[in-house]
Amino acid sequence: MPSDTFDEREYRNDWRRPAQDTVMQSPDHAQPIARKPQYVDSDKKRRSAYIPQHAYESARRILPENVENSPLIDRVTNRWRDEKKLLLPEVDEYEPGFCDLEDENSCPNTTYALIRTRRFRRTLMVILLALVGLHYIWRMHLRPRLRDEWSFQEGFLPDRINGTYGLARGGDFDGIKIADLDPALIPGGEADPDGIRRLVFVGDIHGCVDELDRLLKKIDFDEEHDHLIATGDVVSKGPHNVQVLDKLIRLKASSVRGNHEDRLLEQAKSMSSTALSEEFSSKGAAKDAALLKKLDKKHLKYLREMPLMLRIPALPKASGKKQTHVKHGIVVAHAGLVPHIPLRLQDPYYVMNMRSLNPRTHLPSADRDGPHGDCKPWFTTWNWYNSRLEQGRTFQDFFKMDNDDELDETESVGWLKATFGNASKRKHKPQVVIYGHDSKMGLQIEPWSKGLDSACVSGGDLTALVLNSKGKQVLHSVRCKDYRD
Amino acid sequence: MRPHFGILLGYFFCAAHHVVSSPLMKRDADFNDVKTRLKSSNQKVDASKPNKYFHESAFHYHYDGRFADKAPSDGMRQVHLRALIQTYLATMNDIGIETFLMHGTLLGWWWNRKIMPWDSDIDVMVSEKSIHHMAAYYNMTVHHHRIPESGVSRDYLLEVNPHYTNSDWDADNKIDARWIDTDSGLFIDITTLRRNTTAEELGIHGAMSVKDKHHYNYDDIFPLRITDFEGSPAKIPYAYSEILVEEYGQNALTDSYFESHRFDSSIKQWVPKPLPGHAGGARFRESFAQGD
Repeated sequence: MPSDTFDEREYRNDWRRPAQDTVMQSPDHAQPIARKPQYVDSDKKRRSAYIPQHAYESARRILPENVENSPLIDRVTNRWRDEKKLLLPEVDEYEPGFCDLEDENSCPNTTYALIRTRRFRRTLMVILLALVGLHYIWRMHLRPRLRDEWSFQEGFLPDRINGTYGLARGGDFDGIKIADLDPALIPGGEADPDGIRRLVFVGDIHGCVDELDRLLKKIDFDEEHDHLIATGDVVSKGPHNVQVLDKLIRLKASSVRGNHEDRLLEQAKSMSSTALSEEFSSKGAAKDAALLKKLDKKHLKYLREMPLMLRIPALPKASGKKQTHVKHGIVVAHAGLVPHIPLRLQDPYYVMNMRSLNPRTHLPSADRDGPHGDCKPWFTTWNWYNSRLEQGRTFQDFFKMDNDDELDETESVGWLKATFGNASKRKHKPQVVIYGHDSKMGLQIEPWSKGLDSACVSGGDLTALVLNSKGKQVLHSVRCKDYRD
Repeated sequence: MRPHFGILLGYFFCAAHHVVSSPLMKRDADFNDVKTRLKSSNQKVDASKPNKYFHESAFHYHYDGRFADKAPSDGMRQVHLRALIQTYLATMNDIGIETFLMHGTLLGWWWNRKIMPWDSDIDVMVSEKSIHHMAAYYNMTVHHHRIPESGVSRDYLLEVNPHYTNSDWDADNKIDARWIDTDSGLFIDITTLRRNTTAEELGIHGAMSVKDKHHYNYDDIFPLRITDFEGSPAKIPYAYSEILVEEYGQNALTDSYFESHRFDSSIKQWVPKPLPGHAGGARFRESFAQGD
């Protein structure tokens, strides 16, 4: 009989053992030798051992019927052996679980201990802050910049769009579309070996002759060595339109055609002997009609000879890396230009009227943010495009403007050919645009666009940009009276 | 005489549903007075619109039933349309009528100064002063033109709708005058750009409107710009691109693929092309590749 079998005799001797130590306990306790019976005072009064009723009943239940009269030893079953198997695996093979809170080395505990250390918390804080910071930089700076970059680029890629501005024939222009500045007037040019000449660009004058006088005085305008170039809208709205024209004619100043000059000239063509009254037209048209009556032939001639765009070549002596230096070719236009489109394909209406541009289709708009609110100021795309050109970044993917066959003789030689010229020699050059028109935006000086309309006629400033032969540009302005009625 | 007239009048009111061409109603010139090559009129007369002046043909609403019995082929239609606008512009220029291109015709002008190949009509407007001038001196005049393109001679009829004096909204008489090709039956609808008196009473100056409920600002239309269209001197509104964008959207001025045609920018022409799938880029690349 194996030593761990239940021995009735032993059991009898051991009748006084406490009730807890019953048969069904662990194998260690099944060996009665292992523990000596303990006598407790209260036990003396006890007449029988305490056997729980349910234990007794369960023992009886498992006995076979016919062993009623057999010795007690035969009644012994080794059922505990089976039970041991059932019971013990849990106890025996127990290992502390990963997330057991009882175990010191369990995950939650170590984590807790780690979190409790100051150093760890500090590190965690730093990491969190860094993540938040990175997210902020991404959201507020990198992503919008990448988006802008992409949306700008998208407008030039033929793969992304179904067409672009500049394909159609577009508008018509009755007048000089592109003019070049007289070489004798170029600062630092052949006619100016000492480089003392200056170019003075003035924003929308709108008939403010007093302000123009003050401004010219302020910059010490020297008729012999300085050349005045107006960005258009020299007349209308203001008080002294005829005087402004007289002054410009006397100074031999240049100007590009603004939307107001354009309106005047178009109206002059179609006006009958009876002047337009406000009742039959509009407020603006009636004013234009009244102004037209005051103008002489020489004034009209001067207006008619204003080109849509005035080109100024890169100044020969211009240098310097500062942003205040202009060292590339300049185009003067009243409102703006569409990038990547040759000058001769620019639509005249938009050149005189644009304020914004759809970055995807490059269609300009006279409104601030376009008819559907999806346009940006035209000069943002213009500046993006030209700074890319200056960086020499590849434009191979960009759509190509063909139409070289349409170049006429004067245009096929020189600047335009160099800029938009044929196949292998085709090289785009960055250009600076000097413009006016957008008085609500006010002065807008960007690397590749200089907006000079600072709302003279409505109580703002009249601004001049003075450019010397070195390419250095300085801004000057005078305060204006509010002439609005 | 009086009772006899009363009977006639009574008869008219009873039978108004059947007999529209009553002598009391203003309607376009009688077939027998203007007929050219047809034996009978193909006009579609809608009995529910007794006030309607012009009557289109029964086979197509862009033809005059007094002069045509069937629509020509697409190619011939374009030839007729070109002749129609050329003769119209030349005549109006000669007689001093202030007229300008609008709607689809103006869009065609934007792209290449030509009628778009899929267009089936021509839209022009005249100023208020001009419609009065036209009605007073040129109503029912026939203008004989020799068409250089086809070498044939044609008569064109200028017919003014007497309802032109009514500047109120009139659904049956939106068209103030017509320039009609008396051979093909094709015509140009002429509408008048009027001062919007309702708006003016509200103190808004420069508001203009047309009977077809289009509204414009005086300063967007005038002063008119002088240009050319289909080789003839033409006028267009001052702010042409703004008007086009407002009517057709921004893409109308930039999309080079439309109505199964692709705009070839190297020859500045719309060329027929079936849709090559949905890749917009591919179409666009193609249109550029032509010119490379």
